[in-house]
Amino acid sequence: VFSCFEITAYGALFSSLHQTLILNSSTSQGQVLQAGEGQVTITWSLNKNYPTGTDSNYKIVKVKLCYAPMSQLDRGWRKSNDNLNKDKTCQFNVVTKPYKPLNNNFTWTIEKDVPSASYFIRAYVYDYVGEVVAFGQTTDSHKKTNLFQITAITGRHVAINVCAACFSAFSVISLIGFYLVEKRKGKSLRR
Amino acid sequence: MENMDLESKSVHRDFVLPVDSEDKATKFRVYSVSAPHMRAFHLSWISFFACFVSTFAAPPLVPIIRDNLDLTATDIGNAGIAAVSGAVFGRIAMGIACDLFGSRLASSALILLTAPAVFLTSIANSAVSFLLVRFFTGFSLATFVSTQFWMSSMFSAKVVGTANGIAGGWGNLGGGATQLIMPLVFSLIHKIGATPFTAWRIAFFIPALFQALSAYAVFFFGQDMPDGDYAKLHKSGEKHKDNISDVLYHAVTNYRGWILALTYGYCFGVELTVDNIIAQYFFDRFNVNLHTAGIIAASFGLANLFSRPGGGTLSDIMAKRFGMRGRLWALWIMQTLGGLLCVLLGKVESLSGSIAVMLVFSVFCQAACGLTFGVVPFVSRRSLGIISGMTGGGGNIGAVLTQVIFFRGTRYSTETGITYMGIMIICCTLPIMFIYFPQWGGMFYGPSSKGLTEEDYYMKEWSLKEKENGFHQSSMKFAGNSTSERGKKVESAPTPIDGTPNT
Repeated sequence: VFSCFEITAYGALFSSLHQTLILNSSTSQGQVLQAGEGQVTITWSLNKNYPTGTDSNYKIVKVKLCYAPMSQLDRGWRKSNDNLNKDKTCQFNVVTKPYKPLNNNFTWTIEKDVPSASYFIRAYVYDYVGEVVAFGQTTDSHKKTNLFQITAITGRHVAINVCAACFSAFSVISLIGFYLVEKRKGKSLRR
Repeated sequence: MENMDLESKSVHRDFVLPVDSEDKATKFRVYSVSAPHMRAFHLSWISFFACFVSTFAAPPLVPIIRDNLDLTATDIGNAGIAAVSGAVFGRIAMGIACDLFGSRLASSALILLTAPAVFLTSIANSAVSFLLVRFFTGFSLATFVSTQFWMSSMFSAKVVGTANGIAGGWGNLGGGATQLIMPLVFSLIHKIGATPFTAWRIAFFIPALFQALSAYAVFFFGQDMPDGDYAKLHKSGEKHKDNISDVLYHAVTNYRGWILALTYGYCFGVELTVDNIIAQYFFDRFNVNLHTAGIIAASFGLANLFSRPGGGTLSDIMAKRFGMRGRLWALWIMQTLGGLLCVLLGKVESLSGSIAVMLVFSVFCQAACGLTFGVVPFVSRRSLGIISGMTGGGGNIGAVLTQVIFFRGTRYSTETGITYMGIMIICCTLPIMFIYFPQWGGMFYGPSSKGLTEEDYYMKEWSLKEKENGFHQSSMKFAGNSTSERGKKVESAPTPIDGTPNT
């Protein structure tokens, strides 16, 4: 338990990680997908340009959906921070899989609670003690290329619309009714 | 004097509670629901509570709503400002409406008119629509004035402070309770199977229905005054209708009303601001989940259960010994300490430390609200309704100001905003030092050496002609009753002219 706290309190820095994974997604630049329906296929593999043995301590890969810079503007709850414990760039988990250097792919159906925004995909690699040791992402280091859009569901349903309208109307109508009742009471007192 | 064709509400009926000559209750029994006094109390605090629940139903769910409606930090800040700005004028207007129509009709009408805004929150689909529904829902906070007005109509001077303090405090509880209720309702609906973006929408029907039902209860079970409703009392001539422009004039020209409006902005206004930002603050800064953030935020508002009434009681206790000067000192000290704690809250780095400081801060902040309304009843007798409305409105202005300056967009981090807000509290509480009553003194000066009395002060509000017509009589009675504000030290106080003993 204590070692867990130590690690999380320490917090790896993103800038200290090597981008040893090559990550590719089926999305193209500027493509728009619907939450709840759209699908993204992600493939990843180890970058062969790194010396052999780099991945000796790689155990788990967590693939995440991450906000592009334009969707972080004026939204402090999505802010990027080099300290990975405080970083809020990647808030949605796509998939967690054991590490393999080759032949990794996954098709993800976008969840219904994903907001409308611009995104890219990033994968973090964890070692045997749960520490982040490497990453890969579908965009460049400035997070400007190969971004795609997701459009959120509205969450509205016909039933909700109807109920809201009816109850609102009823409130106002009953108020008018009360007013008329009071007026009639006032008249009867005057007689 | 009585109309012979009255219905069952006759002047000579037996009241469950002991009453004075105006049929106002002289005792406050919180466990009773006897008509009309205690029933009015329970109806007024519950309906005010419902309005608070609705007005602050959005903040605990903002982490979900901001994703559904694609809101920026600026959008969220603007909506929070809109939520408290409507009631600025609403409270002043409500004071006038109570004078004209009585609390029962004025408050039930307002509550029913704002209920649609809460229902329609569930179909908001943009930053603009979100701002509009929060704006219109916020008007319902004007029920504060009708609550205080109703209590002043039902309870005599000795217990009106307690009645006002508890009604106000328990109503404000809604701002805390909603931070618990809404996340709970949301997670229930989510568990049943709705997606988050649908679940929060359905959740809003709960406060909306509660609010509408409370309006019906006020309308059907409430009564304006111990002896009946306004319409009846005006007809029988028991109640004299004052001139609205005179009442307005005497309210607006009394500088003490303006100072209290400013300082109330930095206890109650700050309370409203914190209700708006605190759940999101804990969610974002300390990474607690929605449910936990709601519980922490709720505990801020829930302190109102005892802290605001406690402030009112403290004011009364200080007045017994030190008179009005004691009330003013207590108000300044408690509110300034609240400001210091607010500065500290922004600086604390740990979760448990923040919670602890927040809780202590809430007690001082809300006690200051109660202490403010220990002074307000004495500022003016003729224009009490409008002074109360001005002070209440000033509270909302304070909320607007602090949110505009410190909590909109990403200019300041939330913790920095909180610290600066604390500094602003301390500065804007200083004007209490300028409040001076010639008959009782102020913080630094004793009563005027010219020997001015309570009567001199309250009779200044009536012209010679009005005095000839006898319109000033209730102010005279009040002046006589308020000599207790001199405190224990003054033994040889000049007695009121008509010699009526204190009731």
